[in-house]
Amino acid sequence: MKLHILLSLSLLALAFALPASAGVAVGEAAPDFSVTDSNGKTQTLAQYKGKTVVLEWNNPECPFVRKHYSSGNMQKQQADAVADGVVWLTINSGANGKQGHLDGAGANAFVAQYHATPTAYLLDPDGKVGKLYGARTTPHMYVIDASGTLRYMGGIDSIASTDKEDLAKATQYVRQALAELKAGKPVSTATSQPYGCGVKYES
Amino acid sequence: MHTHELLLAATALVLAVPTVAASADKDHVRVELIAEKSALVPGERAWVGLRLVHEPHWHTYWVNPGDSGLPTKLKWQLPANIKAGDIAWPAPRRFEVGGLFNIGYGGDVVLPVPLEVAADAKPGTTVPMSVEVRWLVCREECVPGKKTLKLALPVAASASANARTRKAFVAAHAAQPLASTWTGNARLAGGQMEVTLSGADLPSSDKLDAFVVQSQLVAYAPPKVARSDGALTLTFDKSEYLAATPAAIDLVLIDGAHPNVLARSIRVPFAAAEATNPSATH
Repeated sequence: MKLHILLSLSLLALAFALPASAGVAVGEAAPDFSVTDSNGKTQTLAQYKGKTVVLEWNNPECPFVRKHYSSGNMQKQQADAVADGVVWLTINSGANGKQGHLDGAGANAFVAQYHATPTAYLLDPDGKVGKLYGARTTPHMYVIDASGTLRYMGGIDSIASTDKEDLAKATQYVRQALAELKAGKPVSTATSQPYGCGVKYES
Repeated sequence: MHTHELLLAATALVLAVPTVAASADKDHVRVELIAEKSALVPGERAWVGLRLVHEPHWHTYWVNPGDSGLPTKLKWQLPANIKAGDIAWPAPRRFEVGGLFNIGYGGDVVLPVPLEVAADAKPGTTVPMSVEVRWLVCREECVPGKKTLKLALPVAASASANARTRKAFVAAHAAQPLASTWTGNARLAGGQMEVTLSGADLPSSDKLDAFVVQSQLVAYAPPKVARSDGALTLTFDKSEYLAATPAAIDLVLIDGAHPNVLARSIRVPFAAAEATNPSATH
């Protein structure tokens, strides 16, 4: 018991010492969170239990994000997923004053501008959810199954670049994971190196 | 009248532009293709380099960029008798932004590339070289860049140092990690990757940093450094994206206390996997 407390304490210390690398692990329960969305509504992970959930870290001014939005790749994946009953949560962990930080109105304008269809756009300016999940890049993607278990985390696809021409050649890992989950198959690529701009956390 | 003034201003502007080609303002980095020597010598290795002159606070990336970013990439177009090798990455630096870590370069740096010149290259001819460079330059925000750079070099029986680029190449060669004579191994233990090194002249500096070349192995915060019985142990947090351990890992160690920053490279094998219980601990 003493050991357990000690361990918890040291893990706690570690969590504070390494703010962005606390993280989560595939195969384990995805931690719950509670944040406000762009319309002022509270959103939790727990409320979507029973549904597959995609988390997408976003910074509209990041060139990697722009690659996937100006090409329509991200919106197409959102639309297809949502049509399939998947919950898609776009999250902005950019701190106030940092590049790509959005308030509710800004987030709604971004969604409208790109004809995006996330279930909700979550505002996480203090980086609470980002650090809980160890989100490092924009984009950075997570797929959580209906039982609340994390099944994929990493890049949106297999080619780390800002070039739209690479999209056709790339394996779209989130799309692949969603298809495999739907078919009741194991997720063939459960982790990949996330690529993109660093999440602009409060320094 | 106005035209005249404009012309004068334009002339002054042209004169003020430095010899390095490129627009720094919106790119945040100037890029240039430079050669170490005046000519290519048949049958010999020549060095060219991508010179990157970063705006203050902006950086580009090492072969393993860290938590975010992209390594600089080169795509060569060369005649059949010239072969370009990979970038000989100079010792990089670690940058921290809001708890995330990146590995790369700021300031004025040259990424050298070896060219193997075929023995049948004809003296008196000129070799046209073209390289498509893609980079990502970041401060906090990031700007991708792409440019095709060209350079023509004569083939000659001998070559002399290029006065204009001499200093840059001296610095570039000095920044190359030297292959170390140390031995060592790497192992996973409880969510961490431990690399133990032994041998002569292990750095004793408290300004030691170490970088792993392969991605998806370790997290990018600086490793903990411990010394005992003449061995050096570097402890990295394991990457959450570790899928499989390779047979060996490559490291670059940098002793920041050395006046010119001393860098060493080493490849260490993975010790046989032991009973680990990495991410399962809660």
